[in-house]
Amino acid sequence: MTEVLLSAEHLRLTAGRLVILEDVSLAIHRGEIVTLIGPNGSGKTSLLKALLGLQRGSGSVTRKKGLTIGYVPQQFAPDLSLPITVNRFLDLFAETTAGRAALARVGVDAATGERQLSALSGGEMARVLLARAIAGKPDLLVLDEPLAGVDIAGEAQLYQLIAELRDELSCGILLVSHDLHVVMGQSDRIICLNHHICCEGDAKSVVRDPAFIALFGSRSALALYPHHHDHAHSLSGAPVHGHHDHE
Amino acid sequence: MSSFLLDGFLWRAALGAGLLAAACGPVGCFILWRRLAYVGESVAHMGLLGAALGLLIGVHAVIGTAALAVAAALVMSRAADRTIPAGTFVGIVGHMGLALGFIVLSLLETVRADLLGYLFGDVLALTTADLLGIAAVGTGVLIGMLVLWRPLLRNAVGGAIAAAEGKGSPLAQTAFLVLTALLVAFGLKVVGALLIVALLLIPPAAARPLARTPEGMALWATLIGAVSAPLGLLGAYAADAPAGPSMVLAAGALFALIHLGDALIARLAPH
Repeated sequence: MTEVLLSAEHLRLTAGRLVILEDVSLAIHRGEIVTLIGPNGSGKTSLLKALLGLQRGSGSVTRKKGLTIGYVPQQFAPDLSLPITVNRFLDLFAETTAGRAALARVGVDAATGERQLSALSGGEMARVLLARAIAGKPDLLVLDEPLAGVDIAGEAQLYQLIAELRDELSCGILLVSHDLHVVMGQSDRIICLNHHICCEGDAKSVVRDPAFIALFGSRSALALYPHHHDHAHSLSGAPVHGHHDHE
Repeated sequence: MSSFLLDGFLWRAALGAGLLAAACGPVGCFILWRRLAYVGESVAHMGLLGAALGLLIGVHAVIGTAALAVAAALVMSRAADRTIPAGTFVGIVGHMGLALGFIVLSLLETVRADLLGYLFGDVLALTTADLLGIAAVGTGVLIGMLVLWRPLLRNAVGGAIAAAEGKGSPLAQTAFLVLTALLVAFGLKVVGALLIVALLLIPPAAARPLARTPEGMALWATLIGAVSAPLGLLGAYAADAPAGPSMVLAAGALFALIHLGDALIARLAPH
């Protein structure tokens, strides 16, 4: 396969006597979307943090030399006492022109750029965080439930956007998500985590895996079976035929 | 003659406290944004122990204060990733410092009378040397904040993001804690170990409704701090009240005034 961006060997992470991650090995390549799924408390966020060096465990994490990362954390709430506009927030991390272009790319209008960061809705914040992460044109995007606070119609649209960004930036994407339905079709590879890697593969093979069914139940496996889309959804949720095609 | 003396120490007090409160502005903004009030308080408590130890071994109290406050700040900056929450750990260290400092000070028979001064400040007793020290530290802190501004701000807005993307600048964070500790050490004589954090918290909190940018808030906080010092002294002179606490009250009054005014404007001009 193509260039390996980030890899981990035998990661083990504990908190006191609790084992959070056990013998986790994985690699993310350029140009692929890898989705991490697993029940609550299965260690998904901890795994991301260990890969990003925010949490220390045993085992090794190897980055491609000079790897640049764009990170969207699960929780992001700057203190309300900090007055800062969206544009200024992006300026702290990237060139002004790159920041403005990234905002436009994710569909945030110029007026929103002048608003206070603390005044954004959940959906707007999700887009701003995504824009901030792509502004520096990173090799690897790490997105930890990036769509929390986005409504269902916006969700499908944003996942479509994430898939497009992979092509535009030719980056790798590591994604944590609860929204199994939407995620399945867009992922090249799915890693099913429950403290260790239970199963791994493309959507079709993962949903048939006994380990997946044990975790999520056979009903969800049925519901998640990758299906063919013949339409997209506009912001209002109305179907738009012939707009895109994915599996 | 007596009125000249009066003028002399009043001017020194106004100038020293004003300079200190002004330097507290930008530092206090980050204390507020990053919810570090607890850290500031504990550093101040350790400062009291430093002053006591300084007197015990015969060096100037401010040297002992600065040394222990900086040491405490450095230890606290390493307090993350423990099973005891960082805030609790910081609180324990600080209160140990306060308790031990109090004990050492009361063992030193000769300085017992100054105990109140260490807790609530003795700004009217500022010497010219004290004033020069405050001016030097205040200027140094302001220059340091100017240099560190961008990495500190990046960290205050999105610390985890910056760390994950390799833009965390931990050195800037450590330097910030050292600057805070120095400010606290030199502020001990002005408002004391129990009230110094008020000068870090109140002016930025008062400045919040006036600002739309981080820099604006820091400038307003500097101004409000610088104004509340002479304002408090004036009140203390008029009411014959202790000077340090009066300055803190003045800052608190400005805070209430600005926030009330802001609420009133929001009500009168709905949008």
